[in-house]
Amino acid sequence: MTDIAYWNYDEWLPSDTTVGSEVILCIVENMQKIGWPEQEMYGVHVSLEEAIINAIKHGNQRDPEKKVHVVVKSTAENFYLKVTDQGAGFDPLAVPDCTAPENLELGSGRGLLMMRHYMDEVIYNHAGNQLELKKQLQKNKT
Amino acid sequence: MSDFKCIDLQNKNDVTVVKLRDDKVTDAERIATLGEELMTLSQPDGGRVVINMGNVRFLSSSAINKLIVLERRLSSGGGNLKLSNLRPEVEEVFNITQLHSVFDIRADENDAVGAFDS
Repeated sequence: MTDIAYWNYDEWLPSDTTVGSEVILCIVENMQKIGWPEQEMYGVHVSLEEAIINAIKHGNQRDPEKKVHVVVKSTAENFYLKVTDQGAGFDPLAVPDCTAPENLELGSGRGLLMMRHYMDEVIYNHAGNQLELKKQLQKNKT
Repeated sequence: MSDFKCIDLQNKNDVTVVKLRDDKVTDAERIATLGEELMTLSQPDGGRVVINMGNVRFLSSSAINKLIVLERRLSSGGGNLKLSNLRPEVEEVFNITQLHSVFDIRADENDAVGAFDS
């Protein structure tokens, strides 16, 4: 554990998945530096992937004219992520239940399901182009 | 066979055993390449394929979708795909998403290969 008790990030990213992946790794590394345990980082990493890469791929459709705003506020106990794209947005309620037998082999909905599993809160704005994720570290978890 | 960028292949008892090279299957371009390479494993008669996931420490939903496409393609031709050697955190993803009911998941590679003849 370092002396740093928090780590914040606030940047506009180009609609480039390679840049998105680099930023995700940067966030993961810095969260570990401020004390997030390895076993918690899988879910955080999955959620970052689904939030940021989806904003680039599906939100902005990789449009080089559009950017993705990524905000992270992380302490040793709390993680907050806000991702805003400049796309048309979508209705998360319209995403099919990917665990329903008839939908198991569909390509959509799985990322949203995983974020809901690993995060405490998954909040979309009304337009569907901004996503907030929140997670509090359970200290008594083994 | 050596031209693949994302996978290594081996033949065991007429079963194609695939190992994924990347431990973190996240990069969008690598996932696209992985999907293309996996599709080459599909034969007209389906094919018998085991993917040893022992090297994989992280799998995004996009990468999972490539596995689903391969499973569907193999099954439609009368073939079969089995997954083996999943790390606990990766197996949890298959449980969360209920995909353990889509894929035949085996503890290890030999178990998966042997299951084709059992």
